[in-house]
Amino acid sequence: MTAARISRYAAFSRISAKQARRERNELYGRMAFFVVILGVFSSLWRAVAEAGMPVAVVAADPRAVVWYLAATEWILLSAPPIHIEIQEAVRRGDVVYRLGHPVSYVVAEFASGLGLLAVRAPFLGLTAFLCAFAFTRWTPPLTALLIVVPFGFAASALITALYLGIGLLAFWLQDVAPVYWVWQKLMFVLGGLMLPLELYPAFVQRAAVFTPFPSLLAAPASFVLGTHLVTPGALAGRLVIWSVATAFGVSWIFRRAVSAVTINGG
Amino acid sequence: MVAKTLSFTRALIATNVKATLALRGAFVVQVVFMVLNNFTFFVFWWALMGHVTTLRGWRLGDIQMLFGIVAAAFGLAVTVAGGVRHLGRFIEDGDLDTLLTQPKSVLVHALGLRSQPSGFGDLISGLIFIAWSGQVAWRTAAIAAVVIVASALILVACGVVFFSLAFWLGRVETVATQLWELLVTFSLYPEPLFGGALRFVLFTVLPAGFVGYLPVRILHAPSFTNVTILLIVAIAYLSLAALIFDRGLRRYASGSRFTMFG
Repeated sequence: MTAARISRYAAFSRISAKQARRERNELYGRMAFFVVILGVFSSLWRAVAEAGMPVAVVAADPRAVVWYLAATEWILLSAPPIHIEIQEAVRRGDVVYRLGHPVSYVVAEFASGLGLLAVRAPFLGLTAFLCAFAFTRWTPPLTALLIVVPFGFAASALITALYLGIGLLAFWLQDVAPVYWVWQKLMFVLGGLMLPLELYPAFVQRAAVFTPFPSLLAAPASFVLGTHLVTPGALAGRLVIWSVATAFGVSWIFRRAVSAVTINGG
Repeated sequence: MVAKTLSFTRALIATNVKATLALRGAFVVQVVFMVLNNFTFFVFWWALMGHVTTLRGWRLGDIQMLFGIVAAAFGLAVTVAGGVRHLGRFIEDGDLDTLLTQPKSVLVHALGLRSQPSGFGDLISGLIFIAWSGQVAWRTAAIAAVVIVASALILVACGVVFFSLAFWLGRVETVATQLWELLVTFSLYPEPLFGGALRFVLFTVLPAGFVGYLPVRILHAPSFTNVTILLIVAIAYLSLAALIFDRGLRRYASGSRFTMFG
């Protein structure tokens, strides 16, 4: 029974992965965007170092900061923005047909998201590695990179699940873009996307502790900084806790949405 | 001809704004969240500039002004000409059919079709950032208005060029959107960060230099020459965009669809 269920959802992943491999324009676009963003940030950090900022506060080697940015951007850009598709399905009413299928709508959407992630993550990871190396002419220890990759992938999967939750809000809001903007910018700041959290004021660091954002971006990427602020075991624990919380949250939102939905016509 | 087009544009903007304001709840949510979004993003700069006083000569106030100009220009662009973001899809799906039969400029009509309520949020936060930078006095407010409008016109012109590629290349929405986002991204970072060949690109193909850097220079030290250059550049980019769209329109294939706009 469980094996049959898993193979059903695995089919959703396979189909979306196949589609992503066929429609590569978006992937190429993201790769180009990645190169530009890393270029901008490596230039920014060179200017910051020239200005006399004590980069040693956050990294054993100043070049590691560019690798940190490559890792956080890789995690964020790999996660497919599935909330847009969900919002459109809700707006058009297509979601109604999906609700009658003998599979969970939420799990099927998440499985499709994972399929997209499986295609994006390797391409973007390679882009991140090559760009960071090109901009720094240096690589962090191999052990650090080997830790970042699985944690980064897990964090991207969790971000995908959170996008799913945001998408489901379309049942009430119709347009979830405003929620997404603020959520995304909170992740930029509280997740330490562009600037390691240690460089933010103390109140921002304290606020970040109560959110999943540091576990999604700063903590997995921090392994390349060589500061050992978090151990792999502790990070794994935090990701499990936030995954469970997200699963409960998403399923609660979906139950409320389905019980409140009004279906007109046919 | 020009007077008629301007009068039509004014009527189109008025209709769009009315339509946007009709859904008051959604409008307020989008505006408030966009303002929040911009201020949350700027926390990065406040934190970074808390550790260094200048970044290759740029202070926090300069970055606030740059951010303000670009946000306000972007807001103005997507409020008044929100259709620019959908131009690729209009071309690809044959949605220009309805506009072709009307006695008005197809480009102006297509641009004015979709006003983005969130643009007001960008505009408001942009003006707040400019005021907060403390670098614009009341006597230079008129110049600030002119540079914001010129910057918005360049953004719209670039959007028209990028999305018009659909006339020749088919489905380009993703690539065109990325190009437009790159233009905005480059515009938001201080000018001295970029040098060499990239600098040439930023004053030509992706004119972030004219969207953000030159306006900041003008507001720092208002000069008739720089304002004139900016206005000439805006007109040149707009003319180029209109020319490319016009050429593309000759290749346009009807979608044979019955569509209603309004």
